[in-house]
Amino acid sequence: MSGSGAQAAHTAMDYSDFLRQWLTVVIFGFLALGMVGFMLGVGSLLRPNPGKGGTYQGQKYLTYESGVDPAGFLWSQTQVRYYVFALLFVMFDVEAVFIFPWATELERYGTFGLIEMFVFIVLLALGLVYAWRKKVLQWL
Amino acid sequence: MDAPFVTPTLDYHALAPEIVLVGALAALILYDVFSSELNKRVTAAIAQLGLLGAIVPILTLWAGDPRSMFDGAYAVDKYAIILKGLFLAAGYLVVLISVHYIGEGDYWEGEYYTLLLSSVLGMMLMASARDLISVFVALEVLSIPGYMLAAWRKRDLASGEAGVKYYLMGVFATAVLLYGMSLVYGLTGQTQLRAIADAFASGQAPKPVLSLAIVFVLVGFAFKVSAVPFHTWAPDTYEGAPTPVTAFLAVASKTAGFVALMNVVAVAFHGQTDVLRWMLVPLAAITMTVGNLIAVRQTNIIRMLAYSGVAQAGYMLCPLAVMGTFVKANDMAAADNSVRTLLVYLIIYAAMNLGGFAVVIAVARRTGSGEISSMRGMFQWAPGMMMALAIFLGGFAGIPPAGGWFGKFAIFKTTMDAGALNDGAGYFLAFLIGINSVIAAFYYVRVIWTMVSGNEGDLPQAPLKSPAALRAAVFITAVAVVAIGVVPTLVSHITDNATLIAAATGR
Amino acid sequence: MLANQFLLLGAVLFCIGVYGVLARRNGVAVLMSIELILNSVNINFLAFNAMWARNGSPAHISGAVFALFVITVAAAEVGVGLALVLMLYRTRKSIDVDKIDALKG
Repeated sequence: MSGSGAQAAHTAMDYSDFLRQWLTVVIFGFLALGMVGFMLGVGSLLRPNPGKGGTYQGQKYLTYESGVDPAGFLWSQTQVRYYVFALLFVMFDVEAVFIFPWATELERYGTFGLIEMFVFIVLLALGLVYAWRKKVLQWL
Repeated sequence: MDAPFVTPTLDYHALAPEIVLVGALAALILYDVFSSELNKRVTAAIAQLGLLGAIVPILTLWAGDPRSMFDGAYAVDKYAIILKGLFLAAGYLVVLISVHYIGEGDYWEGEYYTLLLSSVLGMMLMASARDLISVFVALEVLSIPGYMLAAWRKRDLASGEAGVKYYLMGVFATAVLLYGMSLVYGLTGQTQLRAIADAFASGQAPKPVLSLAIVFVLVGFAFKVSAVPFHTWAPDTYEGAPTPVTAFLAVASKTAGFVALMNVVAVAFHGQTDVLRWMLVPLAAITMTVGNLIAVRQTNIIRMLAYSGVAQAGYMLCPLAVMGTFVKANDMAAADNSVRTLLVYLIIYAAMNLGGFAVVIAVARRTGSGEISSMRGMFQWAPGMMMALAIFLGGFAGIPPAGGWFGKFAIFKTTMDAGALNDGAGYFLAFLIGINSVIAAFYYVRVIWTMVSGNEGDLPQAPLKSPAALRAAVFITAVAVVAIGVVPTLVSHITDNATLIAAATGR
Repeated sequence: MLANQFLLLGAVLFCIGVYGVLARRNGVAVLMSIELILNSVNINFLAFNAMWARNGSPAHISGAVFALFVITVAAAEVGVGLALVLMLYRTRKSIDVDKIDALKG
C-alpha cells in the first residue's frame, strides 16, 4: 500500500515538473511575440509612409526585390521524373531503419545476425537490380 | 545491453514453404529483368513452379507434429497448414486463369506474377501469425500488391478507379486497425495474441478503453472482408479490376482477411464475449441481408458475384459472432468448432468463387461483356462452361449436389447450437440465414435460367473455345465442388484436428 | 503518468487525420491525412512503450519495434499511393477523389 502511495506522490511531482518546464516555454513564447510586435511597431513608425490614398512601390511585390525579374507564373511544375528517384530514395532510406539497431549491437548478434542481415540486404538489392534493369536509374 | 543475446532457433522445416516461395520470387525478378521481351511467358511457368514447389513442404509438415517459433509468435499447426495449402492452391488457380488474360493483353507479365506471389506469401505468413506485429506485417504484405494489381490496366479509367478506391479504403482501414492495436498494446503491454488474452483475462484493463480498442480492430478487419457498412469499395473494385485479379481479391484476399479476424478474435479477444457479441451479431445480420438484397438487382455478373460475396461474408461472420456464447458457457471445444466451421466454409467458398470467375472470364473472351443477358443461350454454344457455372451458382445457393450446402449447413448448425445455449442471437442468426438463402437462391437460379433459355431471334453461335489453362481451372474447381458436396467428410476430416484456440492458448 | 499528454496528442492527430480523409478531395491531401493517422499510432505506441518500460513489463520493447514496422510499411504504402495518384492524373487530368465515379458506387 505504501508502495502505491509513493508511486502516486512520484507521479504528482512528475506532473508539476512537467508543467513547470512548459511554463518556461510559455514565457519564451510571450517574449517572442512581444519582441516581434515591438520590432514591427518601431518599423511602421520609421519607414516612409505613402500617406492617405498613396501606394507602396510595385517593386515591393516582386519575388526577389533586388534580384532577377522572375518570369512566368508563381506555381511552376517540376519534372515528374524526380518522383521515381524520390520514391527509390525514400524506400531504401526507410529500410535502413532495420539496419541501424543491428549495426549498433553488431558483435552481440554475432554470425546469426550477420546472416539474417545479409538475407535482408540481398532481398533489398533485388529491388535495386529491378530498378537498374528497368532503366529508371538513368537520367534521360 | 545487460542480458546476453540468445540466438532464436529457426525451424527451417516450418519455414520451408515460405522459403521456397521467396526463392521463386527472387528467380522471377531476376529472370524478368535479364530476359528479352519475347520470352515473358516463362514467368508464368516460374510462378506455377514456385506455388507447386511450396506445396511439397506443406505435405511433409502435415505429417509431422505442430511446430512453433519465437515463443509461439509464429505457429505452424494443422490450422495454419490447411490455410497455407488453401492459399497456395488458390494462387495456383489464379495463375491458371491469368495466363492468357495477362499474356494477350501485354500487361507486364513479370511484375504481375511477382506481385501475385508476394501477396500469396503475405497470406501464408498470416496463417501462422500469432502476434499483432506479424498480423500487421502479413496484412500489408498481402494487401499492397493487391492495390497495384487492381489498377493493373493503367490506361483504363475503370481499372485505375478500382485501384484507387481499393487503396484508399484499404489504407484507411489499416490505419484505424493500427490505432486499435496500439490501444490493445497500451492496455496489456503485450503484442503476442496469447499474452493479450491472458492479460485481458486478469481483468485489470478498463472496460471502456478495452471496448474501444476491440471496436477499432474489428472495424479495420470489417473493411478487409467487405462487411456492410464497410463494403462500398468491393463492387467497384471487382468490376473495374482485371477479372483474374478480381478472382484473386474476392477469394484469396478476403480469405486472408477472415484468417486475420479469426487469429485476433479467437485467440486474443475470445474472453471479451459481450463486446464481440454486440459488434459481430449486428454486423453479420446486416452484411448478409444487405448483400443479398442488392445482389438481386444486379444485371452485371461480376457485380452480382461481388454483392453475393458480401452476403457470403455475412454468413462467414456468424460462427465468429456466436463463438462468444460457447466461451461463456465454458465449452472451449465448441468454440473451436465454430472456428473450424468457418475454415470449412472458406475452403468451399474459395473453390466455388474461383470457378465462377474462371467461367466469367471464359465467356467474356467471346462476348467482351459481363452482363448477365450476354450469357443467354450458353447452353447451346458452351454447354461445358454452362454446366460448370450452374454447379458453382448452385453451390452458392446451397443446392445439395454442389459443395456449398455443406458449408452453409455447418454454419446453420453452429448458430442453432449457440441458440440452444439460451442465446437468442444464435436463433436470430439461424433464422436470417434461412431467409437469406431463399433470397439468394432466387438470383442464382435466375442466372442459370438465362443461360439455359435460348433467344429465338439469335442465330446459332459457334461453340466457345477456351484456352487449356482456363478449362483446367474450371475443371479442377468444378470437380472439387462436386466432390465436397457428395462426400463432405473430405473437408471435415482434414479440418478435424485444426484447433486454433486450444493450440494457441492451451485452454 | 506522463503518457497522458502523448495519448491526447495521438488522439487529436488521429481525429484530424480521419477528418482529412473524409473531407479532403485532393488525392495527395488524403494521403497526407492517412500519414497523420499512422503517425498518431506511432506516438501511441511509443508512449505506451515508455509506460510499460517503467512498469517493468517483460515485453516492453515491442511497442518501439511495432512503431518501426509502422514507419517502414507506411513508406511502402505511400509509395504505391503516390504512384496511383500519378496514374489518376495521367488518365483524367485531375486528382480530385470525388470525381472518380466512372463506376456506379
